[in-house]
Parts: sequence; C-alpha cells; structure tokens
Amino acid sequence: MITEKRLQILTESAKYDVSCSSSGSGRKNAGGIGNGYASGCCHSFTPDGRCVSLLKILLSNDCIYNCKYCPNRLDADVPRASATPDEICQLTIDFYKRNYIEGLFLSSAVCKNPDYTMEQLLLTVKKLRTEYNFHGYVHLKGIPKADPRLMQEAARYADRMSYNIELPSEQSLKLLAPQKSKESLLTPMRTLTEQANAFKEDKRRGQVRGHFLPAGQTTQMIVGASPEADGQILRLTQALYRKHDLRRVYYSSYVPVVQDKLLPTIGAGQLREHRLYQADWLLRFYGFSVEEIVDEGENLSMDYDPKCAWALRNMHLFPVEINRAPLELLLRVPGIGAKNAYKILEARKFATLRFEDLIKMRVALKRAKHFITCNGAFFGAKNEGAIRGLLTAAETQESAEQLNVFGMLSTPQNAWIALSGQL
Amino acid sequence: MVYIFDGTMQGFLTAFPRAYTDENALLTSKQAQLPLGEEVCTVTTNPTLAQKISERLTSFDRDAMSDLDTLLRSGMPDNEQIAFRYFHLLATVKRPVGKRLATPEVFAAVTCMKRVGLEIHRLHGFVRFMETASGALYAPITPDNDICDLLLPHFRARLTNYPFVLHDIRRKKAVVYDGKNAFNAYLPHADVVISADEQAWQCLWKEYYQSVNIPSRERLKQMRAELPVRYRTHLPELQIQPIGFSDE
Repeated sequence: MITEKRLQILTESAKYDVSCSSSGSGRKNAGGIGNGYASGCCHSFTPDGRCVSLLKILLSNDCIYNCKYCPNRLDADVPRASATPDEICQLTIDFYKRNYIEGLFLSSAVCKNPDYTMEQLLLTVKKLRTEYNFHGYVHLKGIPKADPRLMQEAARYADRMSYNIELPSEQSLKLLAPQKSKESLLTPMRTLTEQANAFKEDKRRGQVRGHFLPAGQTTQMIVGASPEADGQILRLTQALYRKHDLRRVYYSSYVPVVQDKLLPTIGAGQLREHRLYQADWLLRFYGFSVEEIVDEGENLSMDYDPKCAWALRNMHLFPVEINRAPLELLLRVPGIGAKNAYKILEARKFATLRFEDLIKMRVALKRAKHFITCNGAFFGAKNEGAIRGLLTAAETQESAEQLNVFGMLSTPQNAWIALSGQL
Repeated sequence: MVYIFDGTMQGFLTAFPRAYTDENALLTSKQAQLPLGEEVCTVTTNPTLAQKISERLTSFDRDAMSDLDTLLRSGMPDNEQIAFRYFHLLATVKRPVGKRLATPEVFAAVTCMKRVGLEIHRLHGFVRFMETASGALYAPITPDNDICDLLLPHFRARLTNYPFVLHDIRRKKAVVYDGKNAFNAYLPHADVVISADEQAWQCLWKEYYQSVNIPSRERLKQMRAELPVRYRTHLPELQIQPIGFSDE
C-alpha cells in the first residue's frame, strides 16, 4: 500500500489538471472489475466546488524539464516522490471497488527522458487492464516527444488521452516552457486523431477488435500566465475542435504557485475562465463560430456573457417569437439553453405558449424576456439602453451562482444532439 | 373523497377507476392528517382489476407503468396525488401526454420523475462501500426516494466478482448480491465487522480528498449544490472518524 505522504505529494501536483470528466466511454466489464459510464459520474465534491471523479495522480513528480509555471520544475525545491506501477494499480482497484472513484487519471513529470516516462505510463495502464482486469475509465496523459509507437500502444488501453497545450502560442511556449514546442504537442494529437479514425473504419469492417481511445482526446490551456487575448485562445480552440476532433478544451485560470519574473504575480480571475467556458459551450453546442463571438485581439466582455454580448450586437434579429422560431434561433436567445430550447420545441406542438407557460416550465426568463415575444406579447425593456442596464444588473446578482464551470452538465449524447451543424 | 390504498402499483390501479369520476378525489397511502370533513374510502387491492387498468393505460402510453413505478417511488409528500392527476389526464386524452410541459399536471409529474432519476444518478457516485471481514462490500444509504433496488444493475455490472449489500437504513430494506444472484431483503439492522485494511484505505482516500482541493478557490455554495448535505452522512471523506468504527 502506498504511504499517505507519497500519495499527498503525487496528488498535490496533479490537481491543477482540470479535466475531471469520466464520460464518453461505453467500455464493458469483461469478467473483471469496472465498466465505463457513458454520461460520466461524479463521486464527490471538494470545498472548491470541483468534482472528484477520477483518481488524479502522478507516477512521479521528479522532472527534468524547467517550465516556468510548473510547481514541479527542475529548479523547484519541493519534496519528490514516485510510485511503482503496482502501487498505482492496487490503489485504483481498492478505491474503485469502494466506489470512491470512476477511474484513473494518470500523468507524470518527465522523468529521465520522455521515452522512459511514457514506457512507465504504458506499463501501468497495461498492467491495470490485463493483470488487474480493470475495465473502468482510464485517462492517460501523453508525454510530448516520446516515441509515437508507445503512444499508439497506450491508446489501445486508455479511454482518453491528452496532450496539454498549456500556453496558447508558440512565443509563450518558447519563453516559459523552452523544452516544449507547439509541434511536439500538436503532432501527437493529429496522429492520434488519424489513427482513431482509421481504427474506427477497420473495426466497422471487422478487421480489428478492442478499443482505441473511445473517449477521444482533450487538452488544457493556462489562461493569464501569458499575454494572449481571449480571441486568440478561442480561435485555437475552434481549430482544435474542427481539425483535431478534440472532445474538450479545458481552461485553467493561472494560479501563482510559482514565483518567477516572467510570470504575473496575480492570478487571472475566475470570471475570465468562466467566460471562456461559456464561449466554448457556444462553439460546441449552440452553433456559433468564433468569428461571431470575439475579434482576434480582443477579450470577452466581463459585463455580459458571450451570448448576451452577441445578441446585443445583433438586436435587429430580436425579438423572436417563441411559438415559431426555429431551433437555431431559439438556441441563440440569451438565457435559453439547449435543454430549454428542446423543451419549448416539444411543448409548443400541443399549445400556444404564453409567458406564464414559460414561467411554469421553469424557463429562465430574466435575460430571455428582452429577446422574445410570446404569442405576440413582449415583456422586456423598451429600448436597448434599458436592456443593457438591466442585463448588467442581472449579471452581477447572478455571478456567484454562474461560476459553475467545472460541472459537466451535458452528457456527450446530449452534446452531439445539441450540436446544430456548424462544427 | 380520500382514497387510501396500500402504496403498491396494484393498489393504485385498483383505486384509479373509482377515483377517476370523482372531481375532488385525493389518492394517498400515507397515514397523514386528512382534510377536515372529507369522506374516507379504503381501497382493497384487486389484482384482476389492476391488471385490466394497467393494460388500458399502457395502450394509451407504453411507458405508463414504468412512469407509475417511478412516481410511486418518489419521496415527495404528494407523489401519489401527482401520479393520479397525471394518469387522469392520460386516461382522458388517451394518448401520451409526457411532453405537454405547459400543462401543470404533466410538469408536476415530470419534475417528480426527474428527481427520482437524478437521485439514482447521484447515488451511483455517492454510494460508499466498506469492505467487511468476510470480503463482501457493504454500503449504507439514506435516499429520499425508494430506489435501493434500482441501484443494483449499475453496481452488479461493475462489481461482478464482489458480493455486496446496499442497505437503505431508513426503509429497512436491502439489496443483496452474492456474486451470482441478487435479491431484495427486509433488513432492520446490520452488524458490520470491517476488514483489517478498511480503515487504512479510508484514511488514504481522505488524504487524497484533502490534497486535490485548491483552498484558495473555496466555493462552498457550489459544493452544496452538487453534493447536498443530506448525502454526506455516509461519505468517509467528509467525516472526522472513519466510518464503520466505534472507539470502545
């Protein structure tokens, strides 16, 4: 059994990896322990409001790289520890059978060299799947610059892999993480996407069996450690969704755990991170493209959420009639989310919806009422100035509740249904 | 009139045709205080009639019986009346009504069913097993709705080789899986002797829980929304003492 001290060191450094989702894999239990839960499952919540779904742990925090933002960088004076593959497997099984976790999120500092590290990671997942007969969720972090064959083999055992971009531009990478390059991160992502597609095709023809990253790939970017604007970050995001077929891009607002003259001393606010997630959702589930949301060099508005900001720029499209508007337009009304849009779509088949009916159906109308008519009647503010004022007031009141950025509200199934053509 | 039935699906289906024509019908199985001056009618379950009504309702909406099952499991105080109003509408309209969300009866029933569904999903995550000395896993739960047996398929699929017991302490019910077969049991009380390693694993888990938290980003309101306080009783990570131990 791993000691408490080592567990603490190895998880302490893994916690800044935001990805918590355990969704997207329908892996079956093949005579051992565990299976996938397609919609994902949260097992606990910590006082910071984040869910605990996976056992996030490093195999080792002894790193040869010196990325400025990282608490485990070579120069840092922190306690070092590592675990053996067997210790990790045992821990996973015993936590899993007590229903503490949904699976394993295994990562590692780059120890000795990239190939050695990747070999150790691969060895651990392989052991877990074959010797320990574990069929639950496994998220594996890819090590940049490791041998592509190791990566390819690991993909056969893991449900999801991720290469973290961390910094959204080549210049920032050069400055803050000189041993990594944009190519060393994007190439493996591209290769994995191609191989996953090829595998899917072969599987359809019955030529191969098993799995190849059933839950796809994700990545993560640190926001606020380097000077990139939201517009630039979101353009990169959109490219990753469209070209690399990524399932999620995570944003982590910079927390200054490390002192360095190249890094800002204050963290990026959580509101910025929240706005990025809102924009990300618009890209994936609401049929928006990044060009509609924000210009390249600009940041998202802090006063309004991105959908509201878009609506205020396009007032000529509103108000829309709730009883007739097509789905694409309903999805663009501020305050009406994917779920409510579908609810309205169903309910209006049976009766003409009035404002009271929407209230009864618990559609959030605080923002929406300025942009809709219900059977011809309008209940919003008279002019644009008043709308702006009211929306800002509503936003400040609600901001506390709205900071729910880690919750996985949409299941992948909903997500794909909600997607309306543009991605 | 108030119709009192035994709380089962058959009981409900027996009472249903009698209450259907009564404008002020109130269906319940609970021993609550009844409205003043109401007439009371205790319905004796009639399986033949229940079967007939069940077939009739299913012919209007093929999900009718699973909806009724869900509604009767709900822990809401007026769940039986909500179910009655919903099926009254179904029997009047004679076609599926589940999507007419602007109708109050439907919205109430759908909300009620969603709560049951949400609790099942939540408990898939919040159930905590402890290893007993015999190697079987034991989990005490206190759900709002009567869903103990609905949790079985999920855990059976993933813990195929582990015998386990899910124990609804408040309703004194348990689902027992012996590694091959599963059955429901009446279980008023369970004496659990935990295994030698159990405490150590619970401590490791607590240690893990503490170290993944980012203290500078405290957001307790969010935590409470996702993990309501009533579900924390059986989570070792939120107790000071390890669960399953008493220091005598």
